[in-house]
Amino acid sequence: MYVDKGYKRLKKRRYPYWLAVPGITFFVLFFIIPSVMGLILSLFNMNGYDFSKAVFIGIENYKNAFVLPTMRRAIINSFIFSAVTTFFKVAFGLMLAVMLNQKLKSSNLLRTVFFSPAVVNSIAVGLIFKSLMHPGKGLIDTVLNSVNLEFLAKNWLGDPSLAIYSVSFIEIWKWSGFTMVIFLSGMQAVSSDYYEAAKIDGADGWQKFKYITFPLILPSFNNALIINLVGGLKVFDLVQATTQGGPGTATEVFSTLMYKSFGSGRFGEGCAVAILLSVIIAVFAIPTYAFIEKREVIQ
Amino acid sequence: MRRKEKIRRKILAVSLWILSLSILIPLYFAVINSLKDKKEAAMMNLKLPTVWQGAENYVRMAEEGNILQSFVNSCVMTILSVLIIVICSSTMAFILERRGDKLARVLNIFIMIGLVLPVQIIPTYFICNALDISKRAAYICVMAATNLSLCTFLYTGYFKSIPVEIDESACLDGAGPLTMFLKIIFPLTKPVTVTVIIISFMSVWNDFGVSVYFLNNVNLQTLPLTVYNFFGNHNSDWQLVFANVVTATLPVLILYLFLQRYIIDGMVAGSVKS
Repeated sequence: MYVDKGYKRLKKRRYPYWLAVPGITFFVLFFIIPSVMGLILSLFNMNGYDFSKAVFIGIENYKNAFVLPTMRRAIINSFIFSAVTTFFKVAFGLMLAVMLNQKLKSSNLLRTVFFSPAVVNSIAVGLIFKSLMHPGKGLIDTVLNSVNLEFLAKNWLGDPSLAIYSVSFIEIWKWSGFTMVIFLSGMQAVSSDYYEAAKIDGADGWQKFKYITFPLILPSFNNALIINLVGGLKVFDLVQATTQGGPGTATEVFSTLMYKSFGSGRFGEGCAVAILLSVIIAVFAIPTYAFIEKREVIQ
Repeated sequence: MRRKEKIRRKILAVSLWILSLSILIPLYFAVINSLKDKKEAAMMNLKLPTVWQGAENYVRMAEEGNILQSFVNSCVMTILSVLIIVICSSTMAFILERRGDKLARVLNIFIMIGLVLPVQIIPTYFICNALDISKRAAYICVMAATNLSLCTFLYTGYFKSIPVEIDESACLDGAGPLTMFLKIIFPLTKPVTVTVIIISFMSVWNDFGVSVYFLNNVNLQTLPLTVYNFFGNHNSDWQLVFANVVTATLPVLILYLFLQRYIIDGMVAGSVKS
């Protein structure tokens, strides 16, 4: 007992909390307090900066999220965007990783190329594709027209039924290489003994992937899935750069809605959207993680 | 058998290079069109320009887009944010990991929450107003807060691998907590510090989601914001838009080419460990 107390005192002296104060201050002031405040503000109707004019309306803002067509659109779009981009980023990432995991002379160079869009800012990427997807004149339509596939040439970002998928495509372009590297780092940790053994047993490429590679990179798969799902729900810059939520409300997502609420002073509504997004992320991320973690194989 | 394997690898390499064109063509497209005149750039093709007027485009774009100022803004914001993130997350992680008492555990739970959930930007805006700090300072604080969780988490994992005996021996030499941390502990964290610097650098340098709330005016804007605003004002001058895109992208792309190993590993480590 005495020793324990002495050790505690020693710990207190050796690791004083004042050393952590800068970090804790930043975290409390700019993360915890805003989160609580957001929760409170989301229950108010606000028009402009004047807090005295705020009216308590309970969960009205949240109800609106499911009733108002713009908000409903945004929620649906966020889900579409998150699901579509995650599916293709993981699929392409996995495919590229399998191909690059074999000893090629140009492996490193190829990895550098495929990863490079991840370091370019999304606004620049968005504008490049805005031009490539320009209706009629853009490179994509020009190529389609020149190979007699005119019927496939579309107004990619201007057609309301297509726009969200076009923006998804850009996101997939930007982050597939990143997802690939997540898988590659998982694959490089797999011991080559397994492949040797499989070779002796006469396994073909697909069997090796199915029974060795995939089960052993499940943790990476898990990570890639969550990062991309959450990233997809949070998307803002790419949409803002290409369509700003338009045409109409065709590509409206959580974050563009939040930005618009902020711009027009409807702060209560904006906070409600942000809280809703946080809740959805939490609901999504935690069970997905738990589910896949259970199935992980210990190497 | 060996020959067959060789051919298979050749085919694999060739198909990968063809696939990589999907990455390279859009990047080439931006560069080549930034060197054309207005009429040719508006045609949006991959042809080489007949009239090379790159210099003119870049100079005009730099003047009208206030690029130099934005570059300086980007540098200042990024350096200060990264510095604050490194200092705050390393010290916080060290103390919380070594203490391990109730307060530390509660704080750690909040930090874990911060790993998944986004910062509530609208209330943060009000708090910065209430604190009466400048827009620049507010931006740096918010960027620090958005990256703090992940970086603290990375440091915490690393400190677990540093034996407590090292602290003890430092303390026996009579070093105070700060001296011990700065002279003995922090130098040991070099690998994770490199990762933290890279993650926070990339996140601040390419940030748009926070800067558009805090820095959206000509004097405060960072490079991604200039691209956004420049397109708003010059949406028919594609040659200038592309010059702007290239200029805003180049610094980080050059850095990437030199430090690619570190950047790829750092960015991936940051996301995977969360």
